[in-house]
Amino acid sequence: MLIQNTKCECGHQNPVGTVLCESCGKPLFEEAAGAEDAPLEMRYDGVARRSQKQNPHLIDRVWNFFSSVKIAIYLIILTLLGAALGTIFQQESTFINMTTDEEFAAYYKETYGTAGVIYHALGLSHTYESWWFRGLLVMIGASLVICSLDRVLPLYRALNKQQIRKHLQFITRQQVTYSGEVAGDETAWVESFKKQLKRRGYRVHQDGTALLAEKNRFSRWGPYINHIGLILFLLAVLGRSVPAWHMDQYLALYEGETRQIPDTNYYLKNDDFTLELYDESELASNQKGKAVPKLFETKATMYECIEACNDPTRDPVLKQVEQHPIQVNSPLSHGDLKIYQNSYQARVRFISVNVTLTDTVTGKAYGTFALRADNPERVYEVGPYTLRLNDYFPDFGLDSESRPMTKTRDPNNPAFAFTITGPDLLKDGETYLYFPMPNEESKAYQAILNDYYVKNGQSSGKFAFKVENAMSGGKMVNVTFSEYTTFLNIRKDKAMPYIWVGAAISMIGLIMGFYWQHRRVWLRIDGGTLSLGAHTNKNSYGLRADVAWALARTGIEVPPKSLDNRRNLR
Amino acid sequence: MNWIDLSSNVFTAAFFLYCAAFICYAIAVAGKRWSNRDPQGHTARWGRIGFIAAIVAWVLHLVFFFARWKGQGHIPTSNMYEFMTFLAMAIMFAFIVVYLIYRNSLLGAFALPLVIIIVAYASVFPSEVQPLNPALNSIWLRIHVTTAALGEAFFAVGFAAALMQLIRVVDLERKDKVGVRSRRWTEFSLVAIILIVGFLVSVFGFRGAGYEASFSQETVEIADDGTVNSQVNEVTYSLPPIVAPYNSETVDFQAFLGMEKPLFEAPSWMNGVNAGRKLNTVIWSVITGLILYGLLRLLARKPLIAVIKPHLMDIDADDLEEISYRAIAIGFPVFTLGALIFAMIWAEIAWSRFWGWDPKEVWALVTWLFYSAYLHLRLSRGWQGTRSAWLAVIGFLVVMFTLIGVNLVIAGLHSYAGVS
Amino acid sequence: MGKHRKLVQYLILAFVLLVGGYAIGNSLFTSSDALAKGDKPPAFKLADLDNVAHDWSEYEGKPVILNFWGTFCPPCRAEMPALQKQYEKWHDQGLELVGINLSEDQITVERFAAEVGAKFPILLDRDKKTERAFGLKQYPTTYFISADGTIQDVLVGGPLDEDDLEPRIERLMNGRK
Repeated sequence: MLIQNTKCECGHQNPVGTVLCESCGKPLFEEAAGAEDAPLEMRYDGVARRSQKQNPHLIDRVWNFFSSVKIAIYLIILTLLGAALGTIFQQESTFINMTTDEEFAAYYKETYGTAGVIYHALGLSHTYESWWFRGLLVMIGASLVICSLDRVLPLYRALNKQQIRKHLQFITRQQVTYSGEVAGDETAWVESFKKQLKRRGYRVHQDGTALLAEKNRFSRWGPYINHIGLILFLLAVLGRSVPAWHMDQYLALYEGETRQIPDTNYYLKNDDFTLELYDESELASNQKGKAVPKLFETKATMYECIEACNDPTRDPVLKQVEQHPIQVNSPLSHGDLKIYQNSYQARVRFISVNVTLTDTVTGKAYGTFALRADNPERVYEVGPYTLRLNDYFPDFGLDSESRPMTKTRDPNNPAFAFTITGPDLLKDGETYLYFPMPNEESKAYQAILNDYYVKNGQSSGKFAFKVENAMSGGKMVNVTFSEYTTFLNIRKDKAMPYIWVGAAISMIGLIMGFYWQHRRVWLRIDGGTLSLGAHTNKNSYGLRADVAWALARTGIEVPPKSLDNRRNLR
Repeated sequence: MNWIDLSSNVFTAAFFLYCAAFICYAIAVAGKRWSNRDPQGHTARWGRIGFIAAIVAWVLHLVFFFARWKGQGHIPTSNMYEFMTFLAMAIMFAFIVVYLIYRNSLLGAFALPLVIIIVAYASVFPSEVQPLNPALNSIWLRIHVTTAALGEAFFAVGFAAALMQLIRVVDLERKDKVGVRSRRWTEFSLVAIILIVGFLVSVFGFRGAGYEASFSQETVEIADDGTVNSQVNEVTYSLPPIVAPYNSETVDFQAFLGMEKPLFEAPSWMNGVNAGRKLNTVIWSVITGLILYGLLRLLARKPLIAVIKPHLMDIDADDLEEISYRAIAIGFPVFTLGALIFAMIWAEIAWSRFWGWDPKEVWALVTWLFYSAYLHLRLSRGWQGTRSAWLAVIGFLVVMFTLIGVNLVIAGLHSYAGVS
Repeated sequence: MGKHRKLVQYLILAFVLLVGGYAIGNSLFTSSDALAKGDKPPAFKLADLDNVAHDWSEYEGKPVILNFWGTFCPPCRAEMPALQKQYEKWHDQGLELVGINLSEDQITVERFAAEVGAKFPILLDRDKKTERAFGLKQYPTTYFISADGTIQDVLVGGPLDEDDLEPRIERLMNGRK
């Protein structure tokens, strides 16, 4: 490290690394020989960053590493490249139904060939969860903290105790400069110039014939406020990985179904699902004949369990807490929980039926009873007869040995096996198998199996189950089906408020930093010669306009462009 | 006449007015050395005419936008056609803002072609009104898309100024490696733009001629539950197929210049939607673009940068750099707000997660990171000037890839209707 | 001031290290939810076919076989007799064999158990709660849990026969001594 004499000729002792004297602004050393007239490097007002010091320790070296903007830019570029690489092929996290690494490996090989194998082997198939991508984000976070701290405090000090009379070199080597003769009374001219700058919104400090005018200093804090917001944002994102802060579950519910929301004390019921399609006339020509959804909505009720919640021998006692029609852009929310419409599937499911026991010969109806798919009752009294539910297959089928079984747990095609006892019936009761779904397959099963019971002596064929007035006024009355299964996504995200606050702070910082510019004008008059220098961190065009405007009103007409010190160089 | 018809008529008018405005700018730039004219007065006059024409065109463009909004009942930003026309409108807005700050009318000579190309590109997509997908029916989506487009529009103006700056400062005489390289790359940026024009010319040319060929393509898909589905789809080409879709049979083929069957088949690894057709379009764009470029070179007998550069000598390179940087500095917060923050708010409401690493999201982040790097690099003096102009050019490439490339190459949640 | 400043520096670096370590560590050691050998099974409380509640603690400390099954799953149906046979053989020596049904209706389970003659205790899961807690991916899944409460072996899929069950049960029983 270069050892410099950091004491300025004005007598001020500057810290190591200082570019421009903290007090008078005189350049302390030249970056390159022969750059005597070059505009000054005004970054951070030429003050030493905290990290610039002699004989760094290991800790200092780490600190210095993260405090470098160059490193920050490398980190940004690496993150950018990493993120872009992750979009080449589909990410593992987008496949809901695969979990193991072998499955993923096979998928990438199958779908993308050799490139896929390499992609997966490099771990790019889960880029955004990988240790190195996280590591980059962590390092960006560290860089944000350290870079900002390293600069903001010295900058704050420098801007807080500015000397009004600056070294002549400091003034003449600004990006915007003017020098010329001032005719007449110097102090009067300074006074009138001061007035003009004040009209432009500058705060002006005067020291005899030296002047410092400044406006929008707050915009200098914009980047740091932005960085604070980003740090908060990143911390909040990290907070989401704390299990208690985050939940992400899916629930599939057919109409009328109530299920517990996993890991909570809440239950959710799908009261009704509606799907509206666009009319043929509303569709574009390439969509004609397709079913294009206009709206889908789950009318949902949320319950809280208040009793017998963990008692497997009793049904939980539920209390309604919330009711909301859930749409894609309108979730149900209760406390921390939010329930979103994810998707839906057209799948007909049986819910319940009001079925009538009738006599096959006389057609006489003995009575009607309600039968439901979910937890059906065991015994039904119908007229003089007792119906005992003997077996229940929610999704009827036959196993390899032709025994009845259920193919799934869902009531896609239920079958109810009853034993009917009562006066004038077979001694062991009559067996009857009932299929409530009005499709051909189930009706065929019903006929074949009940015929078989008659042949086998288990039934006299006296009874039939019928649904009376199934259709009335174009609507089904005695039967309820679910046409759609709705898929809901249940989320809890306690970090969200912090994420939004972080984003908002960051945004405020950006606006402060980009839509206002910190402008400063220094001038001194030495024996009738005016030297004016002005600096801004952004938009020197506007600064030149300001200076030219104020000069013009004090009798010095100059085109704004001629004030540009950089131009004179080329 | 209903609102939709009104809007499409107005749109056509706006397009031609944009073209007229561009011609005025071209006259303003190129005509000042014409005989017996006062160069400054000439540039100012034609620049003003061009600006007024552009403003009128933009007002018509606004009429198009609001009439279509009224006609279809939702804000027209929900498919590629609507988004691209909106983007063009936003670029005009950004141009007007920057113009009002810097009063540099020649910027229009570069900003307008950009607007025209984007408007023409929008017209490649079906302009028919499509009903809204329920997921897109959210106020936040509208805010997100419009704000993001506005931010990108400022980047576009930054790009236009940077390109001007690059042509302005390119050294036509320098013989060493650096000089040759900077000439070559600057010329190449212009060639890239001409390739896009080539794309537009071939699409509209063959569309005007009513060309069509079709193939039946068999695609094998492994569904989520592991079942293998084989599907035969018909793929229709509106450009003569040099490349046939992978695994396809020719159904119908109009011979073109003696070409009666496709020259080859798209490779299997290109697995995007309609990959074969897209590849074919790219090949045609390159062919047409290169022919266009060849013709221009033949006319000019020198590199295009050498044609344009003399007309830019009156503009100060530092001013251009300032404009480019300022446009990006204005656009950056808007982009952050629109493409990231509003996008997160919408994603949180619609998809229950504020961030899902969807390719479009990732590329918005990549764009943001790129411009962050640009802004940080400008802190050091070594990266100002030409280098930062190149960054502004590359940055806009990233923006365009995010807007178009991601939809064409990578499928994701953002795949707009009517993209292919 | 120098001392103070150094302290702040250390504190910030320590904070970065801590938070960063957590973030990266999290991505390195994300455990999958599926139970594997050596894990301890999650506690559960379920009702049996007579509507009597049973808690996992009742079985803890004994060698246990937990078999997750459903009537809708053909291999589950097929392995019931083999399980019943092993239950008869080993129950007296202290082995617990428990079938956990995959959230079906009680009547369906009851009838099927009676039909195939499964006499070992059958517990009824509800709303896939226990199934989820065990991280089940495929049916049937059978856990062999040793007396010390850890999972000694997991068999995914079936149907299991004597050759699958016998050696594992012997290991379970031997491990107890």
